Amino acid sequence: MGELVIEALGLRKVFRGTARRPGFGGALRSLVAPERVTTVAVDDVSFGVRAGELLALLGPNGAGKSTTIKMLSGVLVPSAGRALVAGHVPHLDRPANARRIGAVFGQRTQLWWDLPALESFAMLRDIFKVEEAAYRLRLDELAGLLELSSFWKQRPRQMSLGQRVRCDLAAALLHDPPIIFLDEPTIGMDAVVKEQVREFIRYQTAERGRTIILTTHDMAEVSRLASRVVLINEGRVVYDGSLADLQKEYGSGWKVRVTFAHGAVPPALPGLVGTAGGEHLFAGTDPAAQRHLLRELLDRDDVEDLQAHGDDLEDVMAAVYRKRAETTR
Amino acid sequence: MTELRQAARIARTSALYEVLQPGRLAGAGAQLGVQIFLTWCLWRALYDAVPASSGLSREQAVSYAVLATLYGRLRGPDRDVAGDTVRQHVWSGSIVYWYLRPVTPRRYHWLRAAGDQAYGLAWAAVTYAVCRALGLIGPPASAGGAALFGLTLLLGQFVLYYLLALVDVACFWTLRNFGVLAIIRLASSLFAGAIVPLWFFPGWFRAISSWLPFESSLHVPLSLYIGRIAPADAGRYLLVQVVWIVLLALALRLAWRRADQQIVVQGG
Repeated sequence: MGELVIEALGLRKVFRGTARRPGFGGALRSLVAPERVTTVAVDDVSFGVRAGELLALLGPNGAGKSTTIKMLSGVLVPSAGRALVAGHVPHLDRPANARRIGAVFGQRTQLWWDLPALESFAMLRDIFKVEEAAYRLRLDELAGLLELSSFWKQRPRQMSLGQRVRCDLAAALLHDPPIIFLDEPTIGMDAVVKEQVREFIRYQTAERGRTIILTTHDMAEVSRLASRVVLINEGRVVYDGSLADLQKEYGSGWKVRVTFAHGAVPPALPGLVGTAGGEHLFAGTDPAAQRHLLRELLDRDDVEDLQAHGDDLEDVMAAVYRKRAETTR
Repeated sequence: MTELRQAARIARTSALYEVLQPGRLAGAGAQLGVQIFLTWCLWRALYDAVPASSGLSREQAVSYAVLATLYGRLRGPDRDVAGDTVRQHVWSGSIVYWYLRPVTPRRYHWLRAAGDQAYGLAWAAVTYAVCRALGLIGPPASAGGAALFGLTLLLGQFVLYYLLALVDVACFWTLRNFGVLAIIRLASSLFAGAIVPLWFFPGWFRAISSWLPFESSLHVPLSLYIGRIAPADAGRYLLVQVVWIVLLALALRLAWRRADQQIVVQGG
């Protein structure tokens, strides 16, 4: 892994606004004496991302993931702390920062709503001052990976969500940025398109060496793409480490369900926690013990059915938040 | 060269929107044609009974009214339709992308407006030539008047741009600006003399109007064109225009600076 290219150093973001009181009378009172509200969206968030790494930034809704991404991409100005992207403070020189990064916010498009996507691409080519030859080459590659050519003459308002986001992914990469921010890029997509986008993201890190920060609620996506995760809850980092360590630390362990052939004598193997309806349930926390058990069972002729379960990432995440809530109570 | 290409690409967006939608293009042309014809008919009919009113001859009044109709097209297509105003992007949260490009939002907004204006000017110039050929608009009163017409028209467009941009940028804080926009649109039509030339209004109305930014956008250039304001008297009007440009430009600069620092993205 390369050097640190993205750094969040004690990032904090506070939003100030006014809250409306309920009802007509409340609205009138709010007009005369507005109620000031302060929201701490992100508080003391620190982590780093190395060149070529794909980091999944996870957390429940309203945890502060998107706000963190917007500070790192230079859109928002931090209330405290510092963001560094390729050694630069992103919001201080946004035009220069824009050349180093690409971004897709899944629920919003950067394409011009009433122009064919190809026109939007050409617009971005000129805005980013991309050479014509390089643009052609890149567009061809992106069109191949994302299968854009069948709909890129349409306007975004005529596209399906999946088509629109694929065009947005291409738009974000036309200027060949080494760093990409993806904020819920697969939200609302069907399984086929989701898989295509996942493969595209995997290709960008594995083959193109791009550094990616990805936020998502899709745990299958996380386990498929990320080796490292940062969990944010209520604006604070609650976990920063590898996915494997997360599962080891917060997971409830492995389970193996076995059905033996009728009349077979089940062997005495370690980890057996119960039997029900001809099914034997083994469980444990040591992955080596699970591997040993599976080897033993696969060597036998009287095993009719065998199911091995790891930890469901959704459950692991829930366990992290539960444990954190207990410790802060 | 790439700088120019970038500017031209951004500037031509609205024109591209219209050209790519022939229905919209034809509709805009038909609307302008009908508007001009009805305006011409109305003002000729009004003047059938009197040879002059409020010091304006029939030719002056008709030329003024038709030019005022053309002026409506000068600002180019409505960017609201293209969904590319600050208000729309702030409301939907897609304003984030304006901060993720190597062109500052301020420059992008300015280039878009300049492009809209150039496109509108092309429409207005072609229609002006047709109207002149058909005799719907008389010639400028003098060469000096024509030159000052062009200059004050240009400065007037700067005034309007800064004013409207300020209202658009205010959406970073207000989120919506429909009310303010409606007031400005009415005021800019009324006080600019787009509905009725200001010469027809009472003195107190004209006194108020002379200190507002709207008059300089339409009434002053058209009055110079038809000869109602002599070129020698244009100095005061030019000064008022320049003062408004400087004030509004400073206010807009300040608004952009604050918006860039305090941007909030709606919807997480």
